[in-house]
Order: sequence, then C-alpha cells, then structure tokens
Amino acid sequence: MTTNFPGLSRFDVSPSVRGSRRNWLHAGWLGGVGLSLGQLFRLQAQQRSDESPVEPAAKAKSVIHIYLQGGFAHMDSFDPKPDAPVEYRGILDPISTSVPGVQFSSHMQQTATVADKLTIVRSMTHTEVDHQRGEHSMFTGYRPSPALVYPSLGSVVAHEQGSRGAMPPYVVVPTAGSQFLGSGYLSNAFSPFALGADPARTGYVVRDLNNPAGVDAARFERRKDWKRMVDEQFRSQTQDDAISTMDSFYQKAWSLLDSPESKAAFRLDDETEQTRELYGMKPWGPILRPSAGARFLVARRLVEAGVRVVTVTYGAWDTHSYHYRGIETQLPDLDKAFAGLIKDLDQRGLLDSTLVLITSEFGRTPRINAGGGRDHWPRVFSIVMAGGGIRRGHIFGASDGLAAEVADQPLSIENYATTIYHLLGIDAGKSLMSPGDRPQRIVTDGEVASELLA
Amino acid sequence: MKILRSCILFALCVPAAADEPATGTLTIQPPIISLTDARDWQRVLVLQKFPDGSTRDVTANAEFQLSDPAVCQVENGIFRPLADGQCRVTVRYDGSDVVAMAEVSNATMIPDLRFRSEVLAVLTKSGCNSGKCHGAASGKDGFRLSLFGYDPPGDHHRLTREFPGRRVNVSDPEQSLLLQKALGNVNHTGGQCLDEDSEHFQTLKAWIAEGAPTDPPEAAIPTGIRVFPEEAIFADRTAASQQLLVIATFSDGTDKDVTDLCVFLSNNDAAAGVTGDGVVSANGPGTAFMLARFDQFTEGTAVIVRPGVSYEFPKIVAANQIDELVFARWKNLHLLPSEVCSDEEFLRRINLDLTGLLPTPEERRLFLADSDPDKRAKRVDDLLQRPEFLDLWVMKWAELLQIRTVNGLSSKGLLMYDRWLRERVHAGMTIDQIVRELIPATGGTFENPATSYYQTETTPQLLAENVAQSFMGTRIQCAQCHNHPFDRWTMDDYYGFASFFSQVGYKQARDPREIMIFNAGTGSLKHPVADRTVVPAYLGAGKAEIPAGADYRAVLSDWLASDANPAFARNLGNVVWAHFFGIGIVEPVDDMRVSNPPSNPQLLQYLGQRLAADGYDIRPLIREICLSRTYQLTASRNESNRLDERHFSHSKVRRLRAEVLLDCLNQVTESQEEFRGLPRGSRAVQIADGQTPNYFLTTFGRASRETACSCEVRTSPTLSQALHLLNGESTSGKISSGGVVERLLQELQDPLLVVGNLYERCLCRQPTSREIEAVKDRLADGRDVREALNDLFWALLNSNEFLFNH
Repeated sequence: MTTNFPGLSRFDVSPSVRGSRRNWLHAGWLGGVGLSLGQLFRLQAQQRSDESPVEPAAKAKSVIHIYLQGGFAHMDSFDPKPDAPVEYRGILDPISTSVPGVQFSSHMQQTATVADKLTIVRSMTHTEVDHQRGEHSMFTGYRPSPALVYPSLGSVVAHEQGSRGAMPPYVVVPTAGSQFLGSGYLSNAFSPFALGADPARTGYVVRDLNNPAGVDAARFERRKDWKRMVDEQFRSQTQDDAISTMDSFYQKAWSLLDSPESKAAFRLDDETEQTRELYGMKPWGPILRPSAGARFLVARRLVEAGVRVVTVTYGAWDTHSYHYRGIETQLPDLDKAFAGLIKDLDQRGLLDSTLVLITSEFGRTPRINAGGGRDHWPRVFSIVMAGGGIRRGHIFGASDGLAAEVADQPLSIENYATTIYHLLGIDAGKSLMSPGDRPQRIVTDGEVASELLA
Repeated sequence: MKILRSCILFALCVPAAADEPATGTLTIQPPIISLTDARDWQRVLVLQKFPDGSTRDVTANAEFQLSDPAVCQVENGIFRPLADGQCRVTVRYDGSDVVAMAEVSNATMIPDLRFRSEVLAVLTKSGCNSGKCHGAASGKDGFRLSLFGYDPPGDHHRLTREFPGRRVNVSDPEQSLLLQKALGNVNHTGGQCLDEDSEHFQTLKAWIAEGAPTDPPEAAIPTGIRVFPEEAIFADRTAASQQLLVIATFSDGTDKDVTDLCVFLSNNDAAAGVTGDGVVSANGPGTAFMLARFDQFTEGTAVIVRPGVSYEFPKIVAANQIDELVFARWKNLHLLPSEVCSDEEFLRRINLDLTGLLPTPEERRLFLADSDPDKRAKRVDDLLQRPEFLDLWVMKWAELLQIRTVNGLSSKGLLMYDRWLRERVHAGMTIDQIVRELIPATGGTFENPATSYYQTETTPQLLAENVAQSFMGTRIQCAQCHNHPFDRWTMDDYYGFASFFSQVGYKQARDPREIMIFNAGTGSLKHPVADRTVVPAYLGAGKAEIPAGADYRAVLSDWLASDANPAFARNLGNVVWAHFFGIGIVEPVDDMRVSNPPSNPQLLQYLGQRLAADGYDIRPLIREICLSRTYQLTASRNESNRLDERHFSHSKVRRLRAEVLLDCLNQVTESQEEFRGLPRGSRAVQIADGQTPNYFLTTFGRASRETACSCEVRTSPTLSQALHLLNGESTSGKISSGGVVERLLQELQDPLLVVGNLYERCLCRQPTSREIEAVKDRLADGRDVREALNDLFWALLNSNEFLFNH
C-alpha cells in the first residue's frame, strides 16, 4: 500500500528516537496515535544514556542563527553593485575582502577581514513579500500554509535531538524575534527558551534563573524537599503522561539550576576586556550603544555549554524610508560583532562544529524609493553561512547586475533548510507528526546544496 | 442499486428467528447485487455477528445457492453477470442462512472505459498522484498530476497533450511513457508501480489503445462511496481478518464495486491494519478507523479490537443519557471504568470547570458537611448561576471570534467589541443568537461593534475558513488549493463557502479609528482551477437561494446557526464536552473530518440534538454532563483502562489553562494582578484583548487569538514554565505580597492548622496522616516556622496536584 498519505498514522520512528516495536504498538493503544511527549522524552533519555553519539554524521554540533529582523539589504552589505546606476547601487562604496575578487559594502569593514572563513550566498530566493510569510519561509523551510504552521529549525532540532546536558536545546536571544521561531505544529515543549532580557543592557539577568530574594541555596534545597513531600500523594494515585511530562521539565529546570557551569553560560561578567573589545561591546566610533556583540557573545557561551540552536535577533532593518540613515549605526555594530564572533569561534576551535548563519526574511528592493528607502525584496538576497561543515571563503550563487534577480545557482528555502539539517545529521525527509495524525516531512522536496559543503 | 431500498431489504434479510442461535446471526452486504453491464461485477460480504457483539467475516466459507444460475455466477464471493434477469441468492453458513437478490441488466453491453472513474482511479490507487510523487504542487521529475486526481480534465491534458505522443502514444500504446515508467522498464524515481499482467495495467493499456479518450460530457460521474461492513468488532487480536467492500454510486443511478480501485488506510495500525486490497487484520486492543478513498470521496468504517480477556460490565447505574451512550461504548470495547471520585475531588473539579476558581476552605467545609444525597447537583446548579461561569464562556467565545488588537483595531474598538460580546452572554443570549448578530453585522465598528469581526480578518477566504473552523468544527483550508484529500471538501465547496464573504465592503468612518462595514452588493470569487465564477454554497448543504439584493452574509447566518446546519450544534456540543473532559469526542475539537472520526458518534450526535432542542443554551447540557457518572469518575486508572485516552473511562488530568492558573494563584495567595484596560484585582479570564502583554499568560500558553484554531491554547509544559514556578514572582512573590501564612499564623496560632488551611485552599483536601507526620518532622528542625510554612505553600503551588485539574 502507499505510505504517503498525510492524515493517517504513519509514524516514522527515526533512528534518533527509535523505540522497540513493542513500545510503538503500546503507544497507540486506545485511539491515541504516535508517541506521547512523555514517551518521546523517555526514549530520548534512554537513547542518550545507553548509546554512543546520537548524530554520527553531524558536522555541525550546534547552530548560531543571527536573524536580522525586517529584511536585510543585500546590496548594501554582502552583494554590492558598484556598477549599477546610483539609484540602485546606493551611497556605500565597495571594499575588498580577504577573499580576492570578493567585495562587501563599506559598512562591512571587519567582516571583510574574515570573509575567507565564510560562505556568502548571494542567490537566496523565495516568493513571499510579507514579513510574516517571509519569516515562515526562512525559518521552517516551508512556504506558509493556510492549514498548518511548521516548526522552526530550533524546535525540530529540540524534537529530534533533545537537550545536551543541563542546557535547553533551543534558546532565543533576547526573545523570539518572530512568531515563526516557535514550535509550530509540534508541542510547545519544543518551543525555544527565551532569555527574556537583553544581554547588552546593564543589569542583564535571565528571567527566573536565580533564586528569588530571601531564598539562598540551602533554603532552595529545603523547598525542593518540601515539593518532593507534597508531590508524593498525588503521584501514588495518578499516573498520567501529562504529569510525567511536567515532572520532566521540573527535572530539566533543576538540573539547570543545580549546575553552576550551565547557569554561568547565561552570564557575561567573567568575559575578558579583550573579548569584549573583540565583539565590539564597548562604544566605538559612531556606535554609542552597541548591542550585537553582547548577544553574539552570549550565543557563543550557550553553544559552548551545550545548547544546540541559538537564534539571536538583532536590529530593525525594515527601512522603507531613510534607508541609509537607518543602517548607518546598526550595520557597523553587526559587522564588528559578527567578525568578532567568527574570529572567537575559530580561535577556540569551535567554528568547525558550530554552524553560524546570518539570515533575514528577505532582502530589499534594488532601486531606492522616493523616500530614500528600500522596500521588501525576496526574489534575490544574501545570507551568510559559516562553520559547521560549510565551505570557507566561498561565494555561492550570484544576483544580476542590479541585485534584482538570481543570475546563478538559486538557493531555495527547501534546499537551504535541507542543507542545514544535513549538516546537523538530521534526515530532512523524515516525517514528524502534526495534529490530526498527519505526518509532515521536516522539509519537502529539498536537496542538499552540496556546493555549500566543505 | 438504490441505497435506500437496499437498507430496507437489508433489515428484512436478518433471520426472524425468535431465539438467536449461539453461532450468531448471518448478514450479507450488499443485500441487492446489481450488475448493470458486461464488465460489471460485485463482491459480497457475509458476516456472522455473535451474541456478545463481535463479528466475523465468513464469506470465504459460506455456501451460495442461486435460484436461477443462468442469470449470474458466483465465485469466491464475487458475482458476475450472465444474462438479464433476477435471481434469489441463498447464503448458508454454520446452520444459518440469509437471502439476497441479484439483478442483472445489459448483460451483453460492454461499456467504454472511463477516464475519471477507471483510468485516473488506477493512477490514484498506484500512488502516482500522491503528494510526494506527481501530485506535489510542482509535480515530480517534470510531470505533474493533480493531487489525488482533483482535476481530471487537467490530468487528461497533461497526460495526452502536454507532450503529444510521449506520455501517451496512441499509435504505439506499448511505447507510452506512462506504461513504461509504471512498469519500471525505463528509469523511474518511483520504481515499478504496476505489474504487466495486473488488471490495473491492462486498464491503462486498453485506454491508450482506445485512443486515450477523455470522458464525454454525458458520462456518469461518481457521486459517493459506501464502505462495508459498517462496523467490525474483533473478539481479540488473533481473530480472523475482515475484507472491506466499497461500493461507488454514479450519477446515472448505477453502482460499482470499486474495492479494487480504492486506497485503504488505517488511522491506528496499533489496533488494526489494512492491506492495499482492503483486508483488515487485528493487531492489538483498541479502536481504529479504516478509510477508503475513491475518486474525490473518502469514507470509513470503524473497527474495534477487544482485549480478549473475560469481561463483565460492572453493576453501575447510568445517571442520564450521556452515561447510557458512554457505557455502550465501554461495553463494545470491553473497557472497565474507574470508580466515582470523592466529594473533595468532585468539588475541586467542578469549581475549576464551571468557574475557573478553586473552592475556598469554607465552601469545602460546607459541602462536606452537607448530607443531602443531591448535593453534587445542588453545587452544579449553584455554580451555573455565578457570573464567573459566564466570564469563562465569554473568554471561550472571544477566542472563537479572535478578539484582539490587530489590523489597526483601536483599543476603543476592541473594548467595545469585547463589551458587545460580554453584555450579550451575561444577558443570557445563546451563541446562535450571537452568531446571527455577528455574521451579517453592518455599520461602523463603534456604532455596531460586531462588525469588528470583519476587521480582525479581511479576506473572504480567511473569513470563511474561520467561520467553518469556529462554528462548524471543520478545517477547510486544504481545499483552498486542492480538493481535501481526507475529507469531503472540494475546491467548489471552499470557494462556494468563501463567496458568502465576497461582497463585504469596507470604508473609513468619520472617526479615524472607526471602519464602516457594509454590503457592497457586488463581488465574487473565481474557482482557480476551473477559472469560473463560484456562487455561494453552504458548506456541505448545497447552493444557497439568495434573494436579489440580499446581503450574502445574512443568508449565510440564517443557515449557519440554525437547525438546518447540524454541524453547528455538533461542534458546539463537542466544544462544551472538551471543556469538561480535556479532550473532544472529535479531537482536535475543530478538526471534524471523515478521516478523524468521533470516538463515540452516537454521543456526539446526542449532544448536538440536545443543544438544538435546548435552543443552543449550553447550561442544560453542561448540567447533564456534570451530573453524569462519566464526568464524576476519578483520575485513578485500573488495569483495564490504563491506556485509554479517548473513551472517558477515567477522569483526564489537565493542566489548568494559563488564565485559570494565574487566577488560582492569585486566589490562594490572596494577591491581585493588574491587566491593561482592567481595574486592579480583575481576573485573567476577563481580559478583553488576546494580545494583552503578560509574561505569565504567554509562558503558560494562552491563546493569542491570532487564528481560530483550538490549538492556540497550549497546556504542555516548558522549561520556562518550570523555572517561573520555581523562581518567579508568581509563586514566591505572590506568597510574600499576599501574606497569607503570616495572617493565618496570627489567626490560628497552631502551625498545623495553618498547614491544613494551605492544603485546603490549594488542593481542596486535608493533608494525609503521613503528610502531617512529614510536616511535623520538617517543622521540628528548629528553624523559623513562618519561613517553613511559606516554603510549604511554595511547594503546594509547585505541585502537580495544584497545577492540574483532576
């Protein structure tokens, strides 16, 4: 019989959550289909405790995904068009980079020096001109569907690979910059953990990570003991998956709170002046209040501590008018912080295992509008991919002379997403279960863009 | 064959013997075997039904006797025509018999092959036009078919005309790529899909040899399918397999056995699986739904596999009709229900479900002291009269209307919209009356706030989708782009329904914050594939009669929330049920479709009928639910219902939804919250705007009301929730700001009395003796008693027993 019917219970028990057939049959006993959350968590925990590496083929152990909210002007950053008419090329001059023959815009001074460690995709393309639709396309690998919201990369990774140590698998910095960075049709158990505070602010503290006032470690231990006592009666009477799932999150919270190293990963206070300098965290040049560096640095610390996917949202790029004024401080801030991140990761030997992405929901119109702005443009735009199995010093694809259309090697959202999952050791063709027991492939009809791979 | 007539005859066929034979009764389906051309054939099913309700397929061993063997022949339960006429068929098995009729007409006429119902059916059956193959929106390897064949003319064009002579080569049929690819003779990503000597392959070949004709306009088209048997109950997992039979009816009144052309699927392989030929076999105890798909039709049949252990239904008394219907289901499944819950459990559960608040220690004391045997009913009646009950349902309706700040809806407009709904609910208006005021609303959004419904969504498509999902429990979104593969909805249905909203007019009112909604009286939608204008049609109920000049929406609303549309009452019944059981009879509640059948169809039907009879007043139904034994079961499971999640044989533990949890935290800690636009001390369930910023509500999964989907309310846990309860201001902060422990210590003096009060206010029970001992131990360590009691309070708020309704 055919096995490709959405709508019915064809649950693909993947290698990463492989239960025995017996478990599986058990799972669907009376009307319920598929693994429940609690069962999935137990299988993941079992898998991790009794087996070798979960992802043998994975080049990328983790992802730092920098999301530039609003639509990032490709021609004013990674894909300058100095030969285009002035109303297209804009006011920024091109500069050379560490890759011969490759130019960036003059706001990208620092990143130009690490271009040899990056792949610039100059031919990203999709068809959605609306912010939300563009976000859904870029974060999930699916065009928006009227019937279903798809899960973001981080949520899929959380679902497939679970947490590593005490750290949550998926963290957003400072908060989710888009509703489509969430868990979509998957349970919100796979939604991102949000810092809830901006690391760039003085007095930055992650919400709820520290004991409340008046509760020291000893008292917190006593509270735990009280909770154990109180829970006993109900647990002895009631067995339910919803309860064990809640308990598993209490366990996760406790192991995080009990691990000084994990908690420290959220802080920045023990970073050296040198590192802060590298990330451009102190005011410099025209940048009076830099904020990219602190966010990127927290992302690196989180990844070091075991987080699988960190999505950092930075900036406000939706410059429909006064475009150049809008980007004149945030672009250099991004530039310095990003170059710092890349150098730092590389020095620490982390770049090869950390996939770093800069994306946006789309690019901006090739021609500057009457208000000095640029509007939404998804037909071609640039993204950056680096580390985690991505080629170094490479330009993938090309736009035409006006930065208006793909001239070479279009990269579709499906192929982009499939490539990332491939690097993470996740089979993008695998089906996950959406509500109504409809299996959905992680990505449909995507292919690995092998030219991106190292 | 006429289905209706066959049903009557079917009833006559059941042996009239007074005492049922121990071997079970015999039935045959279909009771009239109608063969209408030389190529026609018909399979029959002979079913034995045992006194305990289980069934067995005995077709293979049954003996068939024909009164006139010249009319037709039967082999392996399959009838084929010989000559025009009628004959009586007597079926014998195991000492019983049953009679059917065979009717043969046009026995010598060989009909032309039909593209849609035969050729395309082969492609669908073989998986060619599925979503992952050529049915994908962009096709596969350069060849596209419409998904599951929703566009026969388009498919015919692509097969025969897109590359003339290539896919289909009428001058040399063998060389047609369609055949070569299907056999895997040439490189084909999908590999070999058909055997050369299969009947399906021969159909394709014959069609090409005949010149690959399209269907003439007068050709009969399929109008529906029926799947038999209607229910199969396997005694246990080792029971013999059951063949399915699918009969399609056609527009010319004929029918055809299309079992061989159907795609079969089980929605729960763990209970029972089905082969491509439609043979069902039991895998394990449980229920499964077998789906058959032919042409644009999906229908199913229910299968039960019993656990196979000895079963006796307990001596329990049904409190009302709901219990009767639920008990019947348990009997069929051989499920044993849990016990009835204690008064304490009942009181906590009913308070949370009806008012969204916990019973106070004083209420608990009074309830336990009451010796009236009807006290549970009294409590239900009391709570149903409270304003908190209405607040809860205003919140639920507001979610269906998606009341939130969006599309420039001003805060004034939003508050007016909320007040419009709130006033009506509190004034006793029922939801059908509210919907009938909402859907045809015209005027300014300030003048008539109901018009704000047309500001929260503005396209006919989205409005139609939301109305279908909110008020009919049906998701039609799929049919926007292709016929729904697992439901009855076609693109015609979709655009027909959306057309009701194609004439909504918008203009700016004098106040810049106000928008006027009016009937533009012009505008229509086009069917994107057929490229023709669609006229408004009720979802599942045909074209609408629209008087000249009438507002389409008024015509829709007269039908939508009325007895003419049973889906409205059924959906409402399911929504109400899910509120009290944590899971719908159809789950998710707003996803009623053929392939997602109700776990208890009779119960769902009853709820709908009851609501319609009560004029859509939900209170009598809620009263019946709350007084049923089914609702009053404990959450503790037994060996028999340990794994049951769908049949209500025990109470389902449910995490309190975000708003209710926050209100309960405030209630027990005696603290207050401030929400935008509401006076201090208001409850979270009273919030007007789904977008009101609040960390707690967002973290605990309240509906942001961005879509009409019931999936927006999320109660699954997250790390942020656990951290917030452990460290956040909602527990520790409220405990200290409320000062409950300090006050109680002062009033009661004895710390153990304070402990009792804390347990009562949070968990609606006294601590057990073991817990008292444990508390005493902890209090005896010489530390500050006040601090210790605050820590106990904190632990109670962090306990599952508090966070869940059970």
